[in-house]
Amino acid sequence: MHPILNSRRRLAVYVLAWALTSLLLVAAVGRSTPLAATALFLPTGVLYAFISLSSWYVCRAFPVDERTRLTTVVLVHLVVAVVASAIWIALGSAWAFGIDMLVPAAEAVSFYAQQRAFLFVVGVLLFSLAVVFHYLLITVDASREAETRALELSLLAREAELKALRAQIDPHFIFNSLHSISALTSADPAAARRMCLLLADFLRDTLRLGSTSRISLADEFALAERFLAIEQVRLGPRLQVSRDTDPEAIECLVPPLVLQPLVENAVVHGVSQLVEGGTIRMAAARDGASVMITLENPCDPDRPRTRGVGLGLELLKRRLATQFGAYDAVRAEERSGRFRVEVRIPIAIA
Amino acid sequence: MSTEPKIRVAIVDDEGPARAILRELLSAHADIDIVAECANGFEAVKASSDLAPDLFLLDIQMPKLDGFDVLELVGRDVAVIFVTAYDSYAIRAFEIHAVDYLLKPFSGERLAAALDRARERLRSREAATTREAAPTRELMSAVRQDRVPLQRLLVRDRADVHVVPVETIEYIESQDDYVAVKAGGRSYLKEQTLGELESLLDPRAFVRIHRRFILNVSRLAKIEMGITDNRVAVLTGGAELPISRAGYARLRDLL
Repeated sequence: MHPILNSRRRLAVYVLAWALTSLLLVAAVGRSTPLAATALFLPTGVLYAFISLSSWYVCRAFPVDERTRLTTVVLVHLVVAVVASAIWIALGSAWAFGIDMLVPAAEAVSFYAQQRAFLFVVGVLLFSLAVVFHYLLITVDASREAETRALELSLLAREAELKALRAQIDPHFIFNSLHSISALTSADPAAARRMCLLLADFLRDTLRLGSTSRISLADEFALAERFLAIEQVRLGPRLQVSRDTDPEAIECLVPPLVLQPLVENAVVHGVSQLVEGGTIRMAAARDGASVMITLENPCDPDRPRTRGVGLGLELLKRRLATQFGAYDAVRAEERSGRFRVEVRIPIAIA
Repeated sequence: MSTEPKIRVAIVDDEGPARAILRELLSAHADIDIVAECANGFEAVKASSDLAPDLFLLDIQMPKLDGFDVLELVGRDVAVIFVTAYDSYAIRAFEIHAVDYLLKPFSGERLAAALDRARERLRSREAATTREAAPTRELMSAVRQDRVPLQRLLVRDRADVHVVPVETIEYIESQDDYVAVKAGGRSYLKEQTLGELESLLDPRAFVRIHRRFILNVSRLAKIEMGITDNRVAVLTGGAELPISRAGYARLRDLL
């Protein structure tokens, strides 16, 4: 689509510029008969504006880059400009003839004939100017488009990252769970079946929630509790859980899988690293215009620091920052063998 | 059945169901005698010194002491089958000559195959008359290179295990085949050479100031001139250690 014809604003500015140029022509050569000169130059000037728009097609056909030779490009534009100017002069002569027919006293034809050579040169120059202008326009549009595309791409990439994140389930969690099921099948078939169902529900919910944008905090807690129930089969009495959620708070809508990575951390890096185990405390409360989720678990202060620790937390921070612009939404501290995370999420009620 | 002695097995896993399935599957093997079931590394080290099992079925991911820690502390040549959900430790496991590496969940047949390999290993060892303490310790520290610098020191005191975070160490003194680790007002004896330990510690925090001493630099209060033109390191805890000429150069480079 033509960059000027497809924007009304651009077209108006463009035509106005040509009208002003026409008036300049009047001032330059038609001062003795301003009325006739204006009647002659203004319409033909605006007409030439539209003729010059055709230069865009030539510009597009001959982009200025490493592959095209500059002399070829200049030559082509020159030929086109000469032809365009010649057509313009011919149309101008016809218009002058028309004026004389209506107002014989104007003597437009003889006036126009005097200026023809001069106007032809002006026509070539103006067309060349239009060519330069169109090249500029093409460059500006191209860079703007590239910018938009880059932005779109980065948005897409972030979305993909989030999607991958949400669907992220630690494969060792699955292997360990399957191993527990394998162990239970002969010793306690009913427990094995229960475990299968828990695991299936957990996997289904994780995948489902990953594709929604908001869920109620109650659903998020249900998912976390399912995860903990599975881990309890594995870890036995070493893993204890307590929950203290304010009924008002769990009505709130939150982005999915906010609590889940925290609970997973609490088990993997906290309770399961302790010989005697411990209690994971989960809480949620309304706090003004936000909901506060708190998670606390005991941990081994001397545990070997492996890589990947804190990654889940970091990703959660980034998620909340992009979604709410809340850069301090996640606070974590470890003090004397206790790890505590607070997450503050702006409220939305179901 | 055969007159061969039974294989004495210790099961080590911090998860109850994981111990249960091993117990169940092992019961099908008449020549296997489960002498211990341990829920963590400390129990495993204790079981090793009290009961001297022939074979460990050993989980890797456990609290405080992982499977590799346990083997380092056991310090004797015991056959090991690792049992874990993680495949990423396999190379390390075979570097220390593990008999086999079972990935959870596994089948009874897979366990039987691993036990066959263990029987073979134990038989060939019996044939070889020497039942010496195998070079596990050197091997363990070689394998541990990937965890350098050391974050904690494991010290075995008969059946007990002490986990000493390296930052609590004041200094380490060489005593013949042992090192004495001074940390938190206590002294721990560990069967290791000072050079070995030096190579494992963070060189930015620990300096060999003398043939017989490694110093935790953060515990250094001041350096004094001794009577015979020797320098002496005075520690924040009050202890005084000699500094050799080379040791002083190393210390100065670091500071």
